[in-house]
Parts: sequence; structure tokens; C-alpha cells
Amino acid sequence: MTTHTHPTLPEFDYIQPKTLAEASQFLAQHPDEARPFLGGTDVFVRMRDGFLTPKFLVDVKNLDGTNDLRFDPQAGLTLGAAVNMNRVIASPDVQEHYPLLAEACRLVASYQLRTRATVVGNICNASPAGDTIGACLALDGVLHVHGTGGLRREPLATFFLGPGKTTLKPGDIVTAVSFPVPPKGCAGAYLKLGRNKLSDLSLVGVTVLGSPDPGLPSRFRFRIVLASVAPVPLVAAQAEAVLAERAVAPESIRQAAQLASEASTPIDDVRASARYRKLMVRNLTEMALTEVWKKLQK
Amino acid sequence: MKSIGQSLPRVDARDKVTGAALYSGDLSMPGMLHMKTLFAGRPHARVVSMDTSAAEALPGVALVLTAKDVPVNEYGLQRKDQPALCGPAALTPGPSPKEPPKNGGGRERGVAGDIVRCEGDLVAAVVAETEAIAAQARGLIRVEYEDLPAVFDPVEAMQPGAPLLHPEFGDTNVCVLDKIRKGDVEAAFARADVIVEGEYRTPFQEHAYLQPEAGIAYLDEEGRIAVQCAGQWTHADRDGIAHALGLANEQVRVIYPAIGGAFGGREDLSVQIVLALAAMRLKRPVKIVWSRQESIVGHCKRHPMTLKTKWGATKDGKLLAAETTIIADGGAYLYTSNKVLGNCTITATGPYFIPNVKEDVYGVYTNNVPSAAFRGFGAPQALFMAESQMNKLAEKLGMDPVAFRHLNALRDGDTLNVGTPAPGPVSIVQCIEAARDRFHWDERRRTKDGGIRPSSFVRGRGFAAGFKNVGFSFGYQENSWARVEIHGKTGIEQVVVWHAGAEVGQGTHTVLAQFAAETVGVPFEKVTMVTSDSATMGNPGSASASRLTFMAGNAVKGAAEAALAKWKAGERPAIAEYTYLAPKTTPFDKETGHAMPNLSYAYVAQAVELELDLETGFIKILRVVSADDVGQAINPALVEGQIEGGVVQAAGYAITENFISKNGRILTDQLSTYLIPTVLDIPDAVESVIVEVAEPNGPYGARGLGELPLLPLAPAITAAIHDATGVWFDDFPLTPERVLRGLGKI
Ligand SMILES: Cc1cc2nc3c(=O)[nH]c(=O)nc-3n(C[C@H](O)[C@H](O)[C@H](O)COP(=O)(O)OP(=O)(O)OC[C@H]3O[C@@H](n4cnc5c(N)ncnc54)[C@H](O)[C@@H]3O)c2cc1C
Repeated sequence: MTTHTHPTLPEFDYIQPKTLAEASQFLAQHPDEARPFLGGTDVFVRMRDGFLTPKFLVDVKNLDGTNDLRFDPQAGLTLGAAVNMNRVIASPDVQEHYPLLAEACRLVASYQLRTRATVVGNICNASPAGDTIGACLALDGVLHVHGTGGLRREPLATFFLGPGKTTLKPGDIVTAVSFPVPPKGCAGAYLKLGRNKLSDLSLVGVTVLGSPDPGLPSRFRFRIVLASVAPVPLVAAQAEAVLAERAVAPESIRQAAQLASEASTPIDDVRASARYRKLMVRNLTEMALTEVWKKLQK
Repeated sequence: MKSIGQSLPRVDARDKVTGAALYSGDLSMPGMLHMKTLFAGRPHARVVSMDTSAAEALPGVALVLTAKDVPVNEYGLQRKDQPALCGPAALTPGPSPKEPPKNGGGRERGVAGDIVRCEGDLVAAVVAETEAIAAQARGLIRVEYEDLPAVFDPVEAMQPGAPLLHPEFGDTNVCVLDKIRKGDVEAAFARADVIVEGEYRTPFQEHAYLQPEAGIAYLDEEGRIAVQCAGQWTHADRDGIAHALGLANEQVRVIYPAIGGAFGGREDLSVQIVLALAAMRLKRPVKIVWSRQESIVGHCKRHPMTLKTKWGATKDGKLLAAETTIIADGGAYLYTSNKVLGNCTITATGPYFIPNVKEDVYGVYTNNVPSAAFRGFGAPQALFMAESQMNKLAEKLGMDPVAFRHLNALRDGDTLNVGTPAPGPVSIVQCIEAARDRFHWDERRRTKDGGIRPSSFVRGRGFAAGFKNVGFSFGYQENSWARVEIHGKTGIEQVVVWHAGAEVGQGTHTVLAQFAAETVGVPFEKVTMVTSDSATMGNPGSASASRLTFMAGNAVKGAAEAALAKWKAGERPAIAEYTYLAPKTTPFDKETGHAMPNLSYAYVAQAVELELDLETGFIKILRVVSADDVGQAINPALVEGQIEGGVVQAAGYAITENFISKNGRILTDQLSTYLIPTVLDIPDAVESVIVEVAEPNGPYGARGLGELPLLPLAPAITAAIHDATGVWFDDFPLTPERVLRGLGKI
């Protein structure tokens, strides 16, 4: 079947496999020509603009379990790959246990777009600007990947290799992302800076997740992930370390923010200069840490 | 009055909301072919040779057009200085016999057709059975260029030895020079107690209308070449197309379907000539739709300007003198630069009485995309300078900026910088008072934001005013044609209005129906509009320069009065045509600028409150009060729509719309890089205050409106930022980065 829906969208064949095995096999047999897709909000735009010319688009929605959103008090949350962001935002379980994830989804584009866009698509697209990736990393997300060799798990922490580059191989399909139960008493924040308030990609994004941790000298553990300021979503490890070692206070927060800024390697483009982005990493990290610290003290 | 002054529903609302209204891109015809155009994509080059053989050989390709196919390869609204297609040609047109000498007179030879002068110049057009084939064939065209030295900065372009864009017009890139000499500025500065000097810069602005350029051309039932496209002036489009095709005007027909916005960007031609030429050659319908990128590269922009100025006042706050030099980047072709800069020259003293004025205003050719008309026609740039000067003078004098404006505002009989008074009642004082009072300017309140990070937010408020001529004028005889038919036997059953004025979204068809209903004395529902076809209607004049309600309103009113007289005399149906001719105006005197350049002006004042985040540099506009004198609101809901839309567009101009071009290449050629405000970015509140000081020459007292609300917002915003931070910004857009740099934080 041939689809030709938009004058500048190149022609492609739409493939709707019946099983995951069939899908993986097809993708592995056409390594350079076939691509999986979910909401298509990245894929179709890139095709229209001429950056992608796949011969086959393999629809992986509706395959075993990809539509499920499940929460278990012991095992945590599993988000099927095809679950769109508005469903994530509306889920009472997410709101109660993973409010940071809902907050990040809410800052992606517009309501209309979020009825198509998925968290797994955001992750697999592997753009450093992906707004939900920071939350997924901070919440210790693990991908469920179906490949020609069957199912395996991939922690997100080692998943990203570069802009648009991941550890996925031809035939691999992410079926879900799952999160353990978050640490007790944790609090998070996602601050996104776009040039407008609707649909601009982030110039800088800062995700912070904090939680009490008696094992650490500061008795608090912070996760800090930066968007749009490095080739991959950037975990600000040195900044995290400062807040683990020194008592959390305005000075250590400022120092952590400075370290986060120093760790970032943003680029100059028509949206903003690298200098501005670096400064914003510092300011937004300080704001986000302050905000989370306030929540933790309540 | 039954129709005038009522917020009657738009005549086109239902069709536009349901999707029944067809825009040019929606039109299809049996046997239709598709066109793609090829841009030069380089700023200055000679086309050495072109090889179209591979494109022509591709199955499905019907025609490849290059320069040698264009009968008279030149066009331009004010000066025919642009080839329709750039490339080697069999013949270069000589001086155009149809072109009256304008702006510095005629010329010795035609424009060189083989020279590319900006990246948006077209070099070829391909027509094929499908859009995809046309695109593929376009990719097969081989063009050999010899790049020429280019110039992108108008100041450099003015220097001797700079690359010359149009030697056919003389040995300079200066294409416009307007001068004002009123009183004695030197003597006045010597008397002044305070002097403020400033240098301001204003940016490009992209029109970003909803609908990119599109059109369909075909031979109509009478063998004419018909072009259905978006535009602002049917008859000017027709004449421009006919000239390039070497045809009589009547052999071309221009029809406007629904138009998705214009803002001045459709005054000049884009795809029309090549489209008409293809239909003429192939005798089949041909359609084109430009992408957003093609639209941004392919049409004109608002003039960027550098404005250097010095103003003096007495210690009790009376303005004494203003001396100004303005240099505007005209881009590669004249388009309407002469008109834009004429308005800029007049509005550069703001709506104030200044006894001594000296101005030199230059328009300069460069290898950038052409600058031309854009809502405000040069006045937003001039007023950014003038109103910033007013705010700085008020600060230096220790006066309230509103009181300072009130003191110096033009009154009836005061001379403008052109040495003659503005005709009609001058209402800037009423506008200043209306904006001041609605804003409660005199009850200063300072509230701090109570958000999560209160410490990083500061608030400020600012005020600015403006004025703008209604119409092109400057010696041009303003005119507009209309026809009104009254049908019925004993009583009037239907009134039909024929008018070719462009409905670009502003509501002109609705307003013209209201004029007809009012004049004939029938309910609005009895009026039917027949619109925008150059073959069946007279010249409507342009939908620009805030002129259409004024000119077309007078035309419809005149035709309706004449038809009603015939109806009363027993004629059935009663039909009358009428051409309104506005009062005469005169062009600038070459040395002094002395003139009576316009027949009417409209006035505006705005107050703004905003919040600025010192950590990120982001600005949020909390409230805008805009008091606009429209003379008589024909349809108050439409007036409010214009005010709100104008304020939003001005906010984009002032804050988010950061047009970047480098060496003549536009880097922000998509709406994801060139950001217009979204629904979440617009000011929290825009309060329209409709001021009505009737204009005796206007239809039912109406003035013009379209441009007013865009005029003073940028300087009101910079005044509010100064109020919040103590820092003046003399350039914009006020992107977060520019703001932080100005505040010394980056
Ligand atoms: C107007 C607009 C605004 C946007 N604004 C934002 C924004 O504010 N923030 C933001 O982060 N993003 C934004 N995006 C980008 C996009 O919407 C998000 O990245 C979205 O999450 C992608 O999800 P999707 O389901 O549509 O992915 P798709 O487009 O379907 O796929 C994305 C990528 O992942 C691959 N892929 C898809 N499914 C799988 C799978 N199961 N296994 C392996 N690989 C797979 C695809 O091949 C593709 O490379 C915007 C996009 C548009 C068009």
C-alpha cells in the first residue's frame, strides 16, 4: 500500500506487522530502508524536510503490550511505547508517584501534538533537546527492547551515544520504558526555556530530582540532567556530587549550578548563543535546585 | 445610523470558519499543471549560462521557463528594476515606454536581466504534470554563475567604490533621498536647555502571513490570461503582469479568491508573472504553491534602519529642534521604498510640534532581500526613534513622559515638519488622554510578582504615541471605483456592491457592505458583495497604507448615493458607478521637503505594563492600552480585531521576531526559527479604546486604522524596560539574550 499524503512528503510503504517478532524481523532485513515509528511527530517532519527517506515505515503501535500504562506499588511504572503524552499526564498513578514525568510531558509542544507524541518516541529520537528524557533518566528509566534475539533490558543511563544515536541495532524495537518506585519523599522540577511558550524546542532544560538519603554526608541525593547543552542529555555528575557531600544551602546550590554550567558544551545557532545557554544552565539549575530544596523541606 | 457603528458579523465569516472559502492554494482545474520555481540562492552574480536540457527531457515536464522566454523581462511597483527571471536573454528591454519618470527620472537602459541581485531572485520556472516531477526537473537545471562582489550593509553601499546594483539608474546605490529643512536647527540647539542624542537600530521583519504565495493561471472564456492569486491591488497586479508579458492590460485578468493575510508583503508581485507566462505558452491551467521557506526567501521584508538623531528642548519642556539622519536598507530592488521612506520622513518628528527640523532620509540598494511595505510603512521605525527621544527628554527634564507629550502634541493648525499643517482635526491630544486615563497612568501602583521566584522579576510601564498618513498620496491622485445596483420593484429587495478592493482579512468587504446599507437605507442583510475581479470592475486602489476604508468607503458611498437617486427617479434596476477622487496632495520639495503630502492622518497612543525576568531576560507583557482615533468606527468589533492583531504583531516585532541574515542569505527561513508570538506569548490583556474624532473628508467621518496599533508599541516597551531596570534599549528585537546583554549580565 502506498501513501502519499503531503506534497513534499516522499513516498513510502506503510508496514503494519502483526507480532513483535515479525516487526523485528522485517526491520532487521531492511536495515537501511525501514524505520519503526510511533506518533510520527519526529519521523514525518524529518521526512518532509528531506532528512529521512525511509522506504518502509513500520508501525509498532498496537503490538503486544505497547498500549499499556501499568503501575505496581512494588515493581513501579511501565509505560508502553505507544502511550501518548496526554495519557501520561492524565494518569492518576503518574500524578501521584511520578509528578516530575507529568510535568516534563506538559512542557512538550501543545495539547494537539501530545495526543500523538510518545515518551518512548522522545527517547528513541535521542535529541539532546528531548524534554521528557531528563525526567526518565532521573527516575532511573529502563527500556524494554525487542530485537531479533528476543527481549532485553537497557538502562537509559548508557543508551544515548550522540544526537540521534543510540545503542539500538537494526531489528530493535523499544516496547516500553519502566521506572522503579521512586525514593520516598522525593521531589522534582523541570524548568524549560524556549523562545516562546508554545512548541519551541528547549534552548536549555534542567531536570532536578531530590530525595532524602541518610547514607550521604548531606543526607540528600540530587539528580541533575541538562537538555540542549551537549550532544546527549547530560547528567551533571560533579554538580550532583557537591550536593551529596556538602550541606545543602544557598552556597552549595550556587556552586552546583556553576559546575553544571561548566559541564555543559552548548553550541551557537540562530536560536541563541552558546554563552547565553551556558549562563542559563547556571541560572535555571540554581532555580530548579532551590525549588526542589524548598519542596524537600516541607 | 443603522449599519454604521454596528458590530455586524463579517460577510465572509461563515465560509472561512466552515472551510468553504477557497484560498488560491485550494484551487484546482481539470488538466492543471504544476509549477516550481528556482531561486538564485546567491546574493550577487552574473548568470553565465544555463542548461535546462536534462529538465526538459524528463518525462512529464511541459515547459521550462528562463529569462529568454519573458517578453519584457522587468517589473516593479514603483520602478521596473527587477527581472522576472534572471539569466542570459536574447533581448534586454530598453527604457520602458509605459513607465512614467519617477524618483529621479527615467533611465537610459533597461535593467540587466542576467544579473542576480539577491538570493530571492528567480532564475527558472518548471512546469510539469505533477508537483513531484516539477521539483525533480528543477533539480536537473544547471546554472553557471560568476559571483560578483556584494554589499549587505547600506552604509557601506553608500561609499564610493561599493559594488553597484543598478548602474542603469546612475552611479550610486542611493535609491531614495528625502530631505526636510524647516526653521534653523543650529540656532535652536544653541538656545536649547536640554539636548538628547541617540542612535537607534530597527530590524527586518517578516510578514509571516498565514498563507504562503500561491496561485493558478489559465485562459478564461474570452481568451484572457486569468490569474487567481493573493494580492493587495488587483489592477496593479494586472498591469505588472501585462507589462512583463508584453500584453495590453485588458488581456490579463486578476481575480482574488480568499486571501490569507498580506500586511504589505503582497503589494509587489511574486509568482504571478511566471505563472501567467506559463499559462499563456501552454494554454493549460498552471498552479503553484510556495512552501513557507520559499515564501520567506521570495518576498520582501520591513526595512531595517539606522536612525541617528539629536533633539533639543527648553527647560520648561517645549520641543525646539530635531536633526535626524536615517539610513534604510532597501535591499536589491526599489519595490515601495520611496513610499515607505516618505512616511518615515514625516513621522520622524512624532505627533509633536517642532519648529526647527532637519532630516536626511536615505534608501539604499544592497544585496539583501528587498525591503518594502509592511504595516506602518516606515512609521514604526521612525516612531521608535522619535518616541524613545521623547521618553529620554522627559527623563532628563524630570517631567512625566505623558505630560511632556501632552504639552508638545500637535494641535490644529500646527505645522508638521513639511511646513504645512495636517489637514483635518488633529486628535493626538485626545488619544494621549484616552490611553492615559484608561491605563490610570496617574495612579502609580507598583506590585511585585508573587510567583515562585519573585526576586528575579521586575515590573515597569511605558508610554508612546504615533500618527500615520492615510493613503499613498505624496502627489499621487488617490482614487477608488465602485458600482452599486439597487434591485426590486416597489421596494428595495437587494443591493449589490461591485468592488475590487482586496479582503486580506481586515474585513473590508463587510465594511463596504455596511457603507452601502447605510447610504441606501436598507438592512445590512440586503447587501450582496461582488468582489475582486479586474475584468469586471474598475480600479479599487490598494489595500494598504490604512487607505481602503477611507477611499473605497467614499467610492461605495458615492455610487450608492447615485444609485439611490436613480431609484427614486424610477429606474429599475438602479445602477450607478462612481470613482472617488480624494483631495490633491503634493510631493516633497527636493531641497526643503516643503509639501502638502497627505489628505488625512490618524492618531494613536499606547501604554504598556510588563514584567521582566532578570535571570533569563524574558519579557512578559501584562497589559497594553491602545487608544486609536479611527474617526468613526464603522464596525467596532473589526476595529478591536485590528487593534488586538496590530498589538500582537508589534509585540512580535519588538520581542520575539529575530530575523537573521548573513551575507545576504536568510538563516531564519522557517517559522520554527523565525518566531511569531503564539497564543501563549501574546500580552495578557489588550484594551482597545476607540477614539472617534470625525474626519470631514472620510466616509461617515472614518479615518484609517490598519497600521495604527502597530506604530508605538516598541518604544512603549523599551520605556517600560527602562522604568523597570534603568537601562535604555535603542535596538530590538528584545530577545532574552539582548536584554541580558543590555543589563550587563552576559
Ligand atoms: C510541532 C512540534 C513540536 C514539538 N515540540 C517538542 C517539544 O516541545 N519537546 C520535545 O521534546 N519534542 C518536541 N517535538 C518532537 C517530538 O514530538 C517528540 O520527540 C515526540 O516525543 C516523538 O514521539 P513520537 O511518538 O511522535 O515519535 P516518532 O516520530 O514516531 O519516532 C521518533 C524516533 O524514534 C524512532 N522510534 C519510534 N518508535 C520506536 C520504537 N518503538 N523503537 C525504536 N525506535 C523507535 C523513530 O524511528 C524515530 O527515529 C515536537 C515536534 C513537533 C512536530
